[in-house]
Amino acid sequence: MAGLSRRRFLQGVAGLGAGVLSGCGGLPLRSGAKAHVVVVGGGFGGATAAKYLRLLDANIQVTLIEPKAKYVTCPGSNWLFAGLANLDQLTVDYQSLQDSYGVKLLVDRVSSLGAAQRLLRLVGGQSVTYDRLIMSPGIDFRWDAMAGYDQAAAEQFPHAWQAGPQTLLLARQLQAMPDGGVVLMVVPADPYRCPPGPYERASMMAYWLKQHKPRSKILILDAKRSFSKQALFEAGWAKHYGYGTANSLIEWHSLADNPLLELDKQNRMLTSEFGDSFRGDVLNIIPPQTAAQIALQQGLTDSTAWCPVRPLTGQSLFDEFIHVIGDSAHYAPIPKSAFAANSEAKACALAVTSLINQTPIAEAHWLNTCYSLITPEHGISVAGVYELDSANAIAPVKGAGGVSARTDGEAAAMEADYTRAVYRSLIADTFG
Amino acid sequence: MKRIFYAAAALVASALNSIAHAEIDARAIAFNCRNCHAESSLDAKSSIPSLKNLSAQQIRQALLDFKYDKNPATLMPRLAKAYSDAELAAVAEFLSRN
Ligand SMILES: Cc1cc2nc3c(=O)[nH]c(=O)nc-3n(C[C@H](O)[C@H](O)[C@H](O)COP(=O)(O)OP(=O)(O)OC[C@H]3O[C@@H](n4cnc5c(N)ncnc54)[C@H](O)[C@@H]3O)c2cc1C
Repeated sequence: MAGLSRRRFLQGVAGLGAGVLSGCGGLPLRSGAKAHVVVVGGGFGGATAAKYLRLLDANIQVTLIEPKAKYVTCPGSNWLFAGLANLDQLTVDYQSLQDSYGVKLLVDRVSSLGAAQRLLRLVGGQSVTYDRLIMSPGIDFRWDAMAGYDQAAAEQFPHAWQAGPQTLLLARQLQAMPDGGVVLMVVPADPYRCPPGPYERASMMAYWLKQHKPRSKILILDAKRSFSKQALFEAGWAKHYGYGTANSLIEWHSLADNPLLELDKQNRMLTSEFGDSFRGDVLNIIPPQTAAQIALQQGLTDSTAWCPVRPLTGQSLFDEFIHVIGDSAHYAPIPKSAFAANSEAKACALAVTSLINQTPIAEAHWLNTCYSLITPEHGISVAGVYELDSANAIAPVKGAGGVSARTDGEAAAMEADYTRAVYRSLIADTFG
Repeated sequence: MKRIFYAAAALVASALNSIAHAEIDARAIAFNCRNCHAESSLDAKSSIPSLKNLSAQQIRQALLDFKYDKNPATLMPRLAKAYSDAELAAVAEFLSRN
């Protein structure tokens, strides 16, 4: 690898680097650019990687490929259920990445990666070559996990795990539900996008129901035995929603030993392995997840259906010129979050510029901070700081991180305020 | 000829390395500060302080106070404890310049 990249480096110095196939309608390499890095996916991982690559080295040409001209953020999307936000407020575009940082945007979808030629084919017919590729295509769903729940059924029983029309649909269903109705929320086993997301969603739904339909109930049917920030969520639910009493707005049930096997669409009913059945008025079924289709199809995943990487650089174990970051990649124990995707993107951008410039790769530092709202005035958080251990595996730094230490009203209000402020900062740092 | 070219390139690369090396770790840590401490003027009302216009010494002292629990806060003590004093000093230096 060192030999190959040295040769590429020298080619770049000599002005011979050619990033793009000619005659295919591909992009010409800007004169003076020493390398062409293509980023696939304009979510939190991809947008951050594109921006920081340009910040780190303006002589690297960066092309971002994303099929949607506008992106709706999942962070904040649970606020919709409490009536605290609408989709417009959660929508961003790529104007600033183009105007302020010189990222070239291609609004298109990648259909294949020709790793041998380092050539991407796009659905629109174009092809693009790269010196290095950064993939951050997000997640897809396992549609075979529960009989009766497939892509078509998701139009009726939304997962709302990719923000947009699904989120609106679910919010409308909640609003239309009769008082005294039951919301069934089905939560998958780890790993999945945003470990605390379902519980924040239940909180936001409960906040709205408490004001508008207080006789209702949210039943969380969880494939896990425990969940992220559990003690903080449960204390918050007890404080605001009667958790633990007969009239609780929220009930949590672990079905770790009794998995849900079937959805009866007609009767809005779920049946478990032991034959227990649960009927709901609104069903929010969050299926188990995999890396995005493109990563699965192009052989970047292993038997876990996520992409294994070398953590220091994010390089795929299957192709040293392809880096994978964000939810698609296996960065455990770092959770799959927007904050983490942003942090992984920065470490990856540093590594990619070092590889291109033949300089030593910096020690990687990753961070995750995740706030959740229990009510608009009650926030909680978890933080994790990660580094490589002596075996070159990602490990949390001992003695750091953890959940909110103070849970009194003043701290809860401060953390609720930070929830919103951090959302705005994360958007500014990623897309701004 | 070829060998000379390689050697020259290697020399240039290693000279760059030694310059870059001192601040490399600081960047890797400090970039993560921007997730919360945005420098956008649009968010002047944010309750999370901007790091602009703070000296290296001010940032360093604040980080050490968080790390050693001299300045109670909801989040920063949990993060600052992850880094050595030298790393925090390097981060402060980087943030004051960028
Ligand atoms: C309800 C909910 C709440 C959440 N709240 C938070 C929170 O408060 N804080 C937090 O940190 N995280 C939160 N998250 C998690 C966060 O949304 C994800 O972790 C984050 O979006 C991952 O970023 P990513 O870049 O990996 O993927 P994404 O953001 O999903 O971006 C992937 C992009 O790739 C594009 N793409 C896919 N395939 C292709 C292709 N073939 N060609 C080109 N482009 C392609 C997609 O269009 C998409 O835009 C939440 C998630 C949910 C569901």
